Amino acid sequence: MKQIWAIASKEFNDRLRSGWVVACALVWLGAIALTSLFGLVQIGRIGLQGYDRTVVSLLNLVQYLVPLLGLLLGHDLLVSEREERTLALILAGGVTRARALAGKFIGGGFALALPLALGFVIAGAAIGLSAKDKAIGSFFMLAISGLMLGVIFLGVGLLISTLCRTRVQALVCALLTWCVAVFAFDLVAMGIVVTANSNQATREIEQATDATHVTSIADMHNAFESGDEQATRITAVRSQKVAAWLALNPVDLFRAVNLPPAANVTVPVPLATLSIAAWLLGALGCASWKLHRIDL
Amino acid sequence: MKTLLEFKSLTKHFGRIAALNRVDFSVEPGQIMALLGPNGAGKSTLFGCLLGLLRPSAGEILLREHSIAPADRMKFGYLPERITLYPQRSVWDNGIFFARLKNYPREELERQLKRVGLYAVADRPVRQLSKGMLQRLGLAIALCGQPELLVLDEPFNGLDPALLDGLQKILREENDRGATLLISTHTMSAIEPLGTHAAILLQGELAASGTLDELRTAQGENSLEAVYHRIARRTAAREEVRA
Repeated sequence: MKQIWAIASKEFNDRLRSGWVVACALVWLGAIALTSLFGLVQIGRIGLQGYDRTVVSLLNLVQYLVPLLGLLLGHDLLVSEREERTLALILAGGVTRARALAGKFIGGGFALALPLALGFVIAGAAIGLSAKDKAIGSFFMLAISGLMLGVIFLGVGLLISTLCRTRVQALVCALLTWCVAVFAFDLVAMGIVVTANSNQATREIEQATDATHVTSIADMHNAFESGDEQATRITAVRSQKVAAWLALNPVDLFRAVNLPPAANVTVPVPLATLSIAAWLLGALGCASWKLHRIDL
Repeated sequence: MKTLLEFKSLTKHFGRIAALNRVDFSVEPGQIMALLGPNGAGKSTLFGCLLGLLRPSAGEILLREHSIAPADRMKFGYLPERITLYPQRSVWDNGIFFARLKNYPREELERQLKRVGLYAVADRPVRQLSKGMLQRLGLAIALCGQPELLVLDEPFNGLDPALLDGLQKILREENDRGATLLISTHTMSAIEPLGTHAAILLQGELAASGTLDELRTAQGENSLEAVYHRIARRTAAREEVRA
């Protein structure tokens, strides 16, 4: 355990010294502040709103930025030590590969979670004070699921870091993974379903994935504005069949669990838990398997 | 007393290239074993297998008649040929990180830094160290915790005479306190006054091994360097005939 902690604290300190943690905190705080203030610009309004409204505004920001931060941090964790040959020196000292991996993941996790948590806490406090809103439940869920989304992509980044031989290779793979998870997944999945199924299935999928589209944010704000819950429902008429579809991709799952209740998208808790566990354990398990087979 | 290390038919292939081919020899406690051979002979590969960095394709390495567990390596000290630490961190920070991995106290690192003459520059970033200083820092890290086995990969490369003398003195002290030393080197003049035994690797195969006196007598030569060249020539001639 001491070895894991030694590696984790060194990883975190390195990120702190390099300015990564501070830069990440500033970018995150800036983005979260701008989105909270200007999130309603699509419907012609500016200013801090209550928690529920802010959550809707922040959905896109979190789903794009947090996986990117996780991958940017994770892709570099092991491959850089391999390139510099310091990993060999660590392992030659009696540290098992599993412990080295765990230390790297935990250290990276702290380096990612600290700026994200800081951003959520400051934004949450500012919204609470300015909008006098006490219904923090939805914002709390956004923060927790956002952190979890980051940790999952940190794990995926770590897997990329074990699979690649150079930092450049790992960076390219990390960016491609981000594009697939955030942009291409829905398109590819829809394409497969359209190719394999009927027009009826296509229509269902279109309706289902509508909730994960950027444009639906304006519709949801309009629904809040008019007080007409039916308007929100119109953005996506969904069925429970959608849940399994959304659980396949952590980005979609994140979005689904944070949509307002009126959007009528619910992912069963066991399915969401299973998806998160599968992604985390899958990524870390594969990374461990690969690391044990690498000649240094 | 049990044999400390046994290399049994150790084989390592990289694709179709055999870096090590059925290497057999043993190291007894307290020996200073010189591992000799040209570049690409398989010396670093053998160290990689011993330290758990490379997976042997066949054969095994036993430590006191048992397979080596990762925890056993906590009692090994390792100095790689190309020492690469964390350049942005200070001498002290680098040292304390590796000391913590082996659970050694700060005082032990302090003692070893003083021993290699680096304590005065403990705050200096590693990127500002000369090659010789970096080598000494690597040695200090390897010496932490009084390891029972010191594995040194080309430790004499690029050292000036004063540093070489200092290194030889430290290695003698380590051997005197009971440590076993396994040293790969091209610098035979540096290992000859120090070593007790030698193993010569040529093209991944063990060409000869024994005490330095045995090797010198068997080859009818006066120096280790002459022994090495004679064996290398003979092996090359045999290879030519075989080809």
